[in-house]
Amino acid sequence: MRVALSAVLLSAACCARAAPPLAPAELMPALAAVAASHATFIETKRSALLKEPLVSRGTLAYRRPDSLEKHVTEPYDERIVLDGGRLTVDNRTRGRKTTVSLASVPQLGALTEAVRAVRAGDLAALELYFELRAEGTPERWTLSLAPRAEDVSRYVAGIVVSGAAGRITRIEVAEASGDRSVMDIREEPR
Amino acid sequence: MTRARRAVLAAWLLVLAACAAWLYTHLTVQTEMTVFLPPSATPAQRLLLGQLREGVASRTMLIELRGADPVALARASGELARALRSSGLFALVANGDPALLGAERDLVLAHRYLLSPAVTAQRFSTEGLAAALREDAELLASPAGALLRPTLPRDPTGELREIGRLLAPAGGPRLAHGVWFSRDDGGALLSAQTRAPAFDVDAQARAVATVRAAAAQAGAGRLAVAIAGPGVFAAQMREAIERESWRLSAIASLLVLAILAVAYRSAGAVAACALPVASGLVVGVTAVALGFGAIHGITLAFGATLIGETVDYPSYLLIHNAPGESLWRTLARIGATLRLAVLTTVFGAAALAFSSFAGLAQLGWLTIAGVAAGGLATALVAAIVPPGAVRLKRSGLAAPRFALAGRLRGAAPWIAAILVALAAAFIVSRRDRLWDEDLANLSPIPEAAKALDQRLRAELGAPDLRYLLVARGAEREAALETSEAAEAWLTGRVTQGELAGYDAASRYLPSRRAQQARRAALPDEATLARNLAAAVRRSPFREGAFAPFLADVARARGRGFLDAEALAGTALGVKLSALLVRDGEGWAALAPLRGVTDGPRLAAEARQAGFELLDLKEESNRLVGGYRAQSLRLFALGVAAIAALLALSLRSVGRALRVLAPVAAAALLDVALLALLGRQLSLFNLVALLLVVGVGLNYALFFERPQADPAEGARTRLAIAVCAATTLAVFGCLMLSQAPVLRAIGETVFFGCLLAAALSAAFAGRAAGYTRPGA
Repeated sequence: MRVALSAVLLSAACCARAAPPLAPAELMPALAAVAASHATFIETKRSALLKEPLVSRGTLAYRRPDSLEKHVTEPYDERIVLDGGRLTVDNRTRGRKTTVSLASVPQLGALTEAVRAVRAGDLAALELYFELRAEGTPERWTLSLAPRAEDVSRYVAGIVVSGAAGRITRIEVAEASGDRSVMDIREEPR
Repeated sequence: MTRARRAVLAAWLLVLAACAAWLYTHLTVQTEMTVFLPPSATPAQRLLLGQLREGVASRTMLIELRGADPVALARASGELARALRSSGLFALVANGDPALLGAERDLVLAHRYLLSPAVTAQRFSTEGLAAALREDAELLASPAGALLRPTLPRDPTGELREIGRLLAPAGGPRLAHGVWFSRDDGGALLSAQTRAPAFDVDAQARAVATVRAAAAQAGAGRLAVAIAGPGVFAAQMREAIERESWRLSAIASLLVLAILAVAYRSAGAVAACALPVASGLVVGVTAVALGFGAIHGITLAFGATLIGETVDYPSYLLIHNAPGESLWRTLARIGATLRLAVLTTVFGAAALAFSSFAGLAQLGWLTIAGVAAGGLATALVAAIVPPGAVRLKRSGLAAPRFALAGRLRGAAPWIAAILVALAAAFIVSRRDRLWDEDLANLSPIPEAAKALDQRLRAELGAPDLRYLLVARGAEREAALETSEAAEAWLTGRVTQGELAGYDAASRYLPSRRAQQARRAALPDEATLARNLAAAVRRSPFREGAFAPFLADVARARGRGFLDAEALAGTALGVKLSALLVRDGEGWAALAPLRGVTDGPRLAAEARQAGFELLDLKEESNRLVGGYRAQSLRLFALGVAAIAALLALSLRSVGRALRVLAPVAAAALLDVALLALLGRQLSLFNLVALLLVVGVGLNYALFFERPQADPAEGARTRLAIAVCAATTLAVFGCLMLSQAPVLRAIGETVFFGCLLAAALSAAFAGRAAGYTRPGA
């Protein structure tokens, strides 16, 4: 976990040297200006438990301020919908649909909020859960999120979101276990 | 006063003092409301009363902190929870903080293969494990993957998830800053389960005081604290009633003293009037304490009301005293009527005394002993008040002529008959709404408190416990096995959409048989290792990733079974003790249902499937109905006994009717009037009606009594006017009370006595003639 954390911080530090310091608030207007967007993604999950990385593909859809849908199309069909405070996981391959109230699982709430609040340019919500650090320029930035709460950092060491102006291009999650996932995103704002 | 009389008085006072001294050291006042509930006739009712006394819902206190920003509220919530836990008064305190559930998590983790209903031999085959690993890979890639990751190597079959789904169903309160919050984010919510039952009002009052003190400390006294729950309300109502009854009885006593002082203008006479009522109280309470070992607080309060009749006895005596006549002589003249006045009350109360409800029986004996002692003490008043002590204003004698009643006498029977017929018709038309069916209203709470309770209950998702599926068994194991069969049936009903979900005792403690079957489903170490290796080969997971799983299963195969003792002291144990209860000789495992769409249909289906579905609301209504029916029967029996006594003593059915009819009419009109005012009748009204009958019969008896001359007629009217005035003053005060119980008694007696006095004056009195005309 410590290795992963220092890797995140180190990469952030590298970027910091490459570019002048950037305030997280400077990124928000461009992000908040997007009313809706659609994207395709490739996500790679690396874990000590796995023989080889798990790669999944699919689409993302967002509508301001708090509707987010991740539709995994390969290698199985799973639709994960964030709507207000509820997260619905509809796995069509298994025919199983479950709904969780994010309030009842605060850690899950923090993790979904990391994505939702960056996409919505909601600085206040981000700062509630994370220590923020921005690098780069408003046109090409990375935003590092370090969980404030101990019961979140027990699972997730840090999240790094990269983007270009109002678009998100990549989300990297470093788990406390050392597992990492990287989601590369091609976003088309509408 | 002769020496003999003085000796009798001294002996009487000595007896009273001895009784009072004995009471002072020995009297136990019960506060448990259940002695005022009938002995339960059916197993369902026994269970219902058990739930009321001991059940989780009735012991749960809902607490809300308001008046600060959310962060400060969350901190105060944590401090309050810690303080309450260390107070020792609560079995369980929850504020939503999951960190508090550490002991439970370890327990569930260790026993997951015994607790999870998904454990079957198939699950641990190569096929079963391969399917589980496919699902695990998807979960690992999902947003919840990070949360799942730490336990995945130990639990690839997902038993923790299975158990979590069962024990923490969706729809809890909302969380913010790690604790429960109200939907508007303005209040931090907690729930606390008292160790003491809801009806232990003293313990509940202590628990409420503890919460208030701890909340004041946690919030530095600045937070607003709202507390709701059946036990809390019982404690608050008792406090309100005690406070109000002190204030109101002080006012009422002053009014009575003022009325008596104006009537007698003699301090000695007024003081003498206190002797019968004091004697009645002391002797009555002593009799109950001796006979029952203790007296209930409510018996004491009602009993004091019923014995209040004895304050009238000396008034009849003193006012009937003719000029120059000794009080002994007066007593000899009116003695027969006074004796009958006492006896009618005794007979009415005797019906209660033989009731099978401990509370009503206590009330009956208290009244019998108290009224009899009051009657005897009235004779003492005759002994100690010297002749001429009472100087009634001569002009005053003529004043209360009940003139209107007299003038109306011609038309009155018709008017009264029509009114009584209308009242009877009205009561019959209202018969389905006449009675308060809600058992909760035996200790009625103000509307504002009810609304608070409902809001907090909805916010916290606390069970309302209306429908319960009951699995009975002679032994604990048998009950748990039935409960498991019921779970299977209920799961089917959930799929059919007939209910939203349920909780069950067997989820927290599976039967020994189920545990045995689950343990037997776990393969031996070599087989499991072989199956797992084959499954892992077909999965994206690395060989050896699930070594902790193999170790855990091997340990689970060697571990003993889970029993109630292992759960003791945890949240699971608290849940279990609420859902698995001793029931008479055997055990009952309870399954509270949520979101039932069609209660009666589900109950019928349950019966068909061989299960028992209890609708607690309906059961409690039936219980109250049965209670009311028995109380009414006793009431009717008492009235019949009084009628027989009157007919025998007056040696005339006609005279008995003349005495009884006005009082019966008054009671009937009283009930109709209360119904017209929108009141629903309860036990309190019924007991108050008993007093109306007792007091009203006194009026009727004295009016009906042969009058020697116009002067005596005037004295009779004055006596009844004074007695009615004191009664109306006392119960008029109670009408002003904020406490629903006191108000109900006040209204019933006030209207009833007014009607009884008016109707007795109009109809019980002899139409014409004096036994000694022209005197």
